[in-house]
Amino acid sequence: MAAAVNINKSNTALMDPGARQGRGVGGSAVKVLECGVCEDVFSLQGDKVPRLLLCGHTVCHDCLTRLPLHGRAVRCPFDRQVTELGDSGVWGLKKNFALLELLERLQNGMSNQTGLSEDALRGVGECIIRCDEDESHTASMYCTVCATHLCADCSQLTHSTRTLAKHRRVPLADKPHEKTLCLQHQVHAIEFVCLEEGCQPGPLMCCVCKEYGKHQGHKHAVLESEANQIRASILDMAHCIRTFTEEVSEYSRKLVGVVQQIEGGVEDRVGVDLTEHVPGTAESARSCVRAYFADLHETLCRQEEMALSVVDAHVRERLVWLRQQQEDMTTLLSQLSTACLHCEKTLQQDDCRVVLTKQEIKRLLETLQKQQQQFTDLADHVQLDAGIPVTFTKDNRVHIGPKMEIRVVTLGLDGAGKTTILFKLKQDEFMQPIPTIGFNVETVEYKNLKFTIWDVGGKHKLRPLWKHYYLNTQAVVFVIDSCHRDRLMEAHSELAKLLTEKELRDALLLIFANKQDVPGAVSVEEMTELLSLHKLCCGRSWHIQGSDARSGIGLHDGLDWLSRQLVAAGVLDVA
Amino acid sequence: VRHFVTQLNLFLFLSCKYLRQGRKFLVRKLTGRCELQRICYNNKSGAHRTLKIESSLKFSKSELLQSAVIVHPDSVEKTIDDIMTLKKIDPDINPQLGISLQASLLQIVGYHKLMAEVEKLRREPYDCNNPEHEEMLVKLWKALRPESPLTGRISKQWMEIGFQGSDPKTDFRGMGLLGLHSLLYFAEHDQAAALQVLHDSLQPKHSKMSKAEWDKKSFEKAIGYSFAIVGINITDLAYTLLVNGALKTHLYNVAPEIPNMVHFQQTFSYLMQEFHRFWTEEDPCDIMEFNRVRNKFYKRILTQLKDPDMVLCPHFTASDLHLITL
Repeated sequence: MAAAVNINKSNTALMDPGARQGRGVGGSAVKVLECGVCEDVFSLQGDKVPRLLLCGHTVCHDCLTRLPLHGRAVRCPFDRQVTELGDSGVWGLKKNFALLELLERLQNGMSNQTGLSEDALRGVGECIIRCDEDESHTASMYCTVCATHLCADCSQLTHSTRTLAKHRRVPLADKPHEKTLCLQHQVHAIEFVCLEEGCQPGPLMCCVCKEYGKHQGHKHAVLESEANQIRASILDMAHCIRTFTEEVSEYSRKLVGVVQQIEGGVEDRVGVDLTEHVPGTAESARSCVRAYFADLHETLCRQEEMALSVVDAHVRERLVWLRQQQEDMTTLLSQLSTACLHCEKTLQQDDCRVVLTKQEIKRLLETLQKQQQQFTDLADHVQLDAGIPVTFTKDNRVHIGPKMEIRVVTLGLDGAGKTTILFKLKQDEFMQPIPTIGFNVETVEYKNLKFTIWDVGGKHKLRPLWKHYYLNTQAVVFVIDSCHRDRLMEAHSELAKLLTEKELRDALLLIFANKQDVPGAVSVEEMTELLSLHKLCCGRSWHIQGSDARSGIGLHDGLDWLSRQLVAAGVLDVA
Repeated sequence: VRHFVTQLNLFLFLSCKYLRQGRKFLVRKLTGRCELQRICYNNKSGAHRTLKIESSLKFSKSELLQSAVIVHPDSVEKTIDDIMTLKKIDPDINPQLGISLQASLLQIVGYHKLMAEVEKLRREPYDCNNPEHEEMLVKLWKALRPESPLTGRISKQWMEIGFQGSDPKTDFRGMGLLGLHSLLYFAEHDQAAALQVLHDSLQPKHSKMSKAEWDKKSFEKAIGYSFAIVGINITDLAYTLLVNGALKTHLYNVAPEIPNMVHFQQTFSYLMQEFHRFWTEEDPCDIMEFNRVRNKFYKRILTQLKDPDMVLCPHFTASDLHLITL
């Protein structure tokens, strides 16, 4: 419970259950020390703690939390000045310690005013026991016979006679408890406790009450043992409270530690006169994010530069070629006009000369025809298209031209159907292949993509050689024989091995669950489950596709997926 | 223009045909012998003669001669008689002609028959439930690994003789029983050679590499090839040669009459050994070059078979055969 001292406007009551002070003790009206916003009185802790703003105004914590945030700042409700907040928000603002001190003093002053009765109480309740002989002495022993509290000197003095010296005196701590007398029967001490439910408000009884009085026939216990029991339980409780306190304080210490760790701060280095700024976790997280995006930015810039250079190179090449063509055409044109001139000139000459130039004209015509042939050939082959079709791959490379080339490696156990799939894709015909020794390589064109597929033999001995085919591979097609259940685990281990390869880190993974046409084949869902693909392929783009190389079902769906993955969205439709 | 080209083609075709016919007619009138006679007398027995007879029959304008190449082997004798009658050749004057013509025709017809047989065997898949198939597989093991017994039908041991996995069945998919038959024939009839090839295929490529070094590297680098699946690949090669007719040269030279399965299997055994030698000569750096080496080998064999004297036998040549006598 927060020990809050509220000085109300009416201010007649001091609400403080923590301190054992009299309630309703009157005091002079204190109308200061209240929050200017909510007009509630400040407290030493909790919601009403006064906090300072940058402008110097003090507002209670509660009101501060209600203020609207402007980014990471609040505005003072009195003069609209901006105060930046740290990571811990309002909690990070400094408390108004001057005000708090004042508040504390005020509170102490009040308790001093009302503290007289308490002093008296303490005199009785606390363990300072005066000597019965002399008020100014403090008792240290107790005479069991005279039933007096004595100090050492007085004990010596009073019990000096022979008879008195025999009195048994014990240290004060061992003083026997005084017997309380029964209220009803003044001569009898209370010796028992009633255990009946109905007597709980007044369970104490003497022997008379027990035998003849109101507790006659009731269940009872001896007072001393009952008291001891209760003492023991109180002790237990005290222990509990102590541990609980320890826990709470430990926890709050930890909270402080965590806050410090998050906020970071200044740490004194022992032995060195320097103080060092230790970054908090908040700061390091922020710098982590910054570093990541800086890196990303850098990569993007680099990729952009590379892509632009590719485009530049393409444009340069193209322009050079076009310019060359232009020049050629100019030359051709001038040649043609020369020829025309020549012809005209010849026409105007006399018959003899015309006959003489016959050979020359013939040669000229031949060259012309040759040039015309060349020109038409050229025009047939070259499409004059100013367009520069640009495609982007997922890894932000740029590709110019109608077909995009992709390198794919087909892997899998022996007999899974890799070669069959390859030839089905290539020639659209089903053939029973012989075991592949080494590899087959084919180029398959599909939509605007050109797949170069390497089909590597699946034989056990060949598997270590797969890695020679990983380089620059954009996609791996892993083929699994769905109707061969007992080899699934072998396939699984090979796949797992593949996925750890560094060269294949960024490669796409397409899994063909092949031979789906065979009755009893493992379905795609079951396969995903059996090979725990979600776990295995976590963090990479993968796809499982049911297929049947015999009819070709599913093969093109797989290629579709690959092309969707490889080409950045929206550019696939360049047919 | 296209129309013109078509017409030209037709014209060329017709003129060629008539030219050929005309030339044949002239030569026949001059020598007094028909084309078949001339071929038989001017060419020595074997592929030289049979190949020419085959093309002569195919391009003949007589339906009887055209169909002679596809008659059933049993009716060959009757066909020969019919041809003699048609060509008005007296068997008493030319006693040799009938015999040599018959031998050649049997070879031609037999080749087609062999092709059908091989195709049938290739199309028959390996069947685990067929005790005959199983028995053959076990025999293959016994021939190749006489000293170590097989622990089970499905066993890692199969990989020792070069199958891909623990069950050889899956490796027979493309070539069917033909692969198994060929391998078994090679292992049983040419056991010494087969064992040598198998032994070499298991050896490290670099002989300078010590045994310990090899053991260490054996799993990283697959050197040498796998006997069984290479055998199946070579079966495919032999089958291709048979189907595209390249093997005719060889078979017409070695088979006196009808070439049969054994001839094919002998060819396979020879190709296996030749390929092994070729592989060793090529000295490829690893198994990944198999297809390149195989294609090179195939081209070499094809070139060799263009020579009508060629036989794919290491032990003897056509001239030593003397099996076909006029």
